[in-house]
Amino acid sequence: MHSILAVDDSASMRQMVSFTLRNAGFDVVEAVDGEDAFDKARQRPFDLVLTDQNMPRLDGISLTRRLRETDNFKTTPILILTTESSEQMKQAGRSAGATGWLVKPFNPAKLIEVIRKVVR
Amino acid sequence: MSETPSSTPSSGDAFDLSQFYQVFFEEAGENLERMEQQLLAVDLASADDEVLNSIFRCAHSVKGGAATFGFSDVAELTHHMETLLDKLRRHELEPTPSMVEVLLQSGDALKAQLARHQAGGAGDSIDTSALQRDIAALSSGKPAPARSAPVVATHAAPAAAAAEPATRQLEMRIGPLDDLAPADNLVEMFSEIAGLGSIEPLDGGQAADGMRRFKIVTTSSDDDLLDLFTFHVSREKVLLTPLGPGYGFHSGSPGAPAEAEPEVDASFGFFENAPGAPGTAPAVTAVVVAPAPGSRAAATGSRPAAPATAEAATLRVSVERIDQLINLVGELVITQAMLAETSAKLDPALYQRMAVGLADLNRNTRSLQESVMSIRMIPMSMVFSRFPRMLRDLASKLGKKVEFVTEGEATELDKGLVEKITDPLTHLVRNSCDHGIELPAERAARGKVEAGTITLAAAHQGGSILIEVRDDGKGLSRPKLLAKARERGIDAPDSMTDAEVWNLILAPGFSTAEVVTDVSGRGVGMDVVKKNITALGGTVEIESAEGCGMVVRVRLPLTLAIMDGMSIAVGCECYILPLSSVVESFQIRHDTVKTIGGSGRVVHVRGEYMPVVALDEVFGVPRFGDTNDNAVVVVVEAEGQRAALLVDALLGQQQVVVKNLESNYRRVAGVAGATIMGNGHVALILDVGALARRARH
Repeated sequence: MHSILAVDDSASMRQMVSFTLRNAGFDVVEAVDGEDAFDKARQRPFDLVLTDQNMPRLDGISLTRRLRETDNFKTTPILILTTESSEQMKQAGRSAGATGWLVKPFNPAKLIEVIRKVVR
Repeated sequence: MSETPSSTPSSGDAFDLSQFYQVFFEEAGENLERMEQQLLAVDLASADDEVLNSIFRCAHSVKGGAATFGFSDVAELTHHMETLLDKLRRHELEPTPSMVEVLLQSGDALKAQLARHQAGGAGDSIDTSALQRDIAALSSGKPAPARSAPVVATHAAPAAAAAEPATRQLEMRIGPLDDLAPADNLVEMFSEIAGLGSIEPLDGGQAADGMRRFKIVTTSSDDDLLDLFTFHVSREKVLLTPLGPGYGFHSGSPGAPAEAEPEVDASFGFFENAPGAPGTAPAVTAVVVAPAPGSRAAATGSRPAAPATAEAATLRVSVERIDQLINLVGELVITQAMLAETSAKLDPALYQRMAVGLADLNRNTRSLQESVMSIRMIPMSMVFSRFPRMLRDLASKLGKKVEFVTEGEATELDKGLVEKITDPLTHLVRNSCDHGIELPAERAARGKVEAGTITLAAAHQGGSILIEVRDDGKGLSRPKLLAKARERGIDAPDSMTDAEVWNLILAPGFSTAEVVTDVSGRGVGMDVVKKNITALGGTVEIESAEGCGMVVRVRLPLTLAIMDGMSIAVGCECYILPLSSVVESFQIRHDTVKTIGGSGRVVHVRGEYMPVVALDEVFGVPRFGDTNDNAVVVVVEAEGQRAALLVDALLGQQQVVVKNLESNYRRVAGVAGATIMGNGHVALILDVGALARRARH
């Protein structure tokens, strides 16, 4: 079973993302912000990281940058889930080393579809 | 806007979002609360980046959730707020009092919208178009237009600022419309104008809810489109949002899919050569369509660390479950007491192991009880947090300047008490602002600083909590109060002590305001405050100095469920006195009780005469002898009055689990509740305040 680290500071979003992913047969670990996610990522590898952008303590792009400097996460797909879909935002994601992006609000079926493109 | 959350594009097939609603509502409520507190605290002259970011994040979070769960009205208003807040945190605009005002009002509107959704969406939707216009005007750097002003084109549409000539895909929602013809005319017009782009109906062009949805592909800016559409449909009824499948991969990024994305998809993307991206570069995805809501740039650096939320370490549990737990623990305490009493008769030598076990049970029961009770404890800040906003509104309404100070916010109190103390405290704080604090000019004339201070303080004191409402206003006037009391036919001799005079304002129908305001009522307040606090087993004390201010002290038991009691015997009956009200107890000789005025009796204790209450007479319980020989007197104090209770014997002290008599039987005068004793018998808990009052009259 593939494991996914789902990062969002909003409890409702986190629950919904996890529920969607678990329903699709993924093993999900939740984190409440970038710092929490980074702590969890240091303990074990994941097959995919799905992170919100705007969070207290450490945002999604900074988390991505930090993860890319970590051995286990050099090639792991990292998707940024965000309400900001501007070109600048995407470029910031790209330069931080993110694999892709997905806008919020998301459609659960679409989320799974996108994830299956990179995790098989 | 759409009433059925499931009809929004964000929901998937057969995917029930409603299971997450409750979490969302709680979370949104917390976010709005936090936003309000921070808005009230924000220093307009030099706003802290961290605070502005945090306020932004609150709105952002609510918007994200609302959009996901399909509460489009909430998402729409928060979107406007977010636009303004984003400009503030980027210092493109400087915060002004009118911005704070509009944002606070928007917060209220959001709470109302959320409450409506939480109730199942019943009732009329809340119209926030005026607020949205104001926010949009402020976002564009203009002052908020007066509410009565006609709707002018100050509407800054979400994507207006960033009018890139790139082709954009938009979802346009029109409605609610009574007549769908204008929408059709609009489509016709759109198709007729060359170079504008294409328009096609979404959801099959059918709309039962009076809403029409269209997909538009255009290079025109939102503003241009909206200007065009006003020929047929008013601006407020048109909502444009970027449309697209909602994801993308960055070509060449790690983990991105290998095959190119055939469809034009604006809602996701992979980056080229990025770690994890699919192997071959997608042809279009990453480049096509970037519908930017606003001219927002991404924050690339890590933002200043904000205080972390504690939610990871907490668990939401319904209050009923905790109450049930408390009840069960209460029963356990009773059972344990019963076992302890039964086992006391056994020979410790023969039943040593059982005695050890019972001692353990005793200890564990106590710890369990304490732990369970602590679950219900919540900090006073939960109550205090509502006051800054209320005072701000009230002070501006009254033309006063008031500073609000809180002390001891971390003091914990039983949740049940917190709920019940909120209204009385609100009343006291309002009173302080309305009647206590003078107008700035009056204060200046008296040599005080123009801004009055109202302090709300909480602290633990022994087994109770002490809450003080202090103000540095004009205080109470003894001559005025006495005159007023006499006017109302209340017996008020000049010999009354100050404390007794201040207590007059707690009497029913007694108002001290010279002019009745619409703020703190017509004198029906203070007596209700007093009644409510007394009902909670608390007391109210007033201290005042004319010209300097006043203090209202509210003392409450920490919890309503368990209390320390002293058990006393009258005849064969056992009663419980709250230990907190017991002053002393001693045996008396019959000649120390004197009858005065025919039926009244007093006892002489160390130079002081105190009224005697014979509990046997109050409750009609025959005593063991009919003389006062060997009688025991328990001196109790309540509401500033002392009384001597005449009883047969003192039985002991113990913790008792308070059971409500009213809900189990009916209200009995002089009785506050009941409890079950170790021997399984029911004992009544006496209402000391009522008994002391009875003794006075």
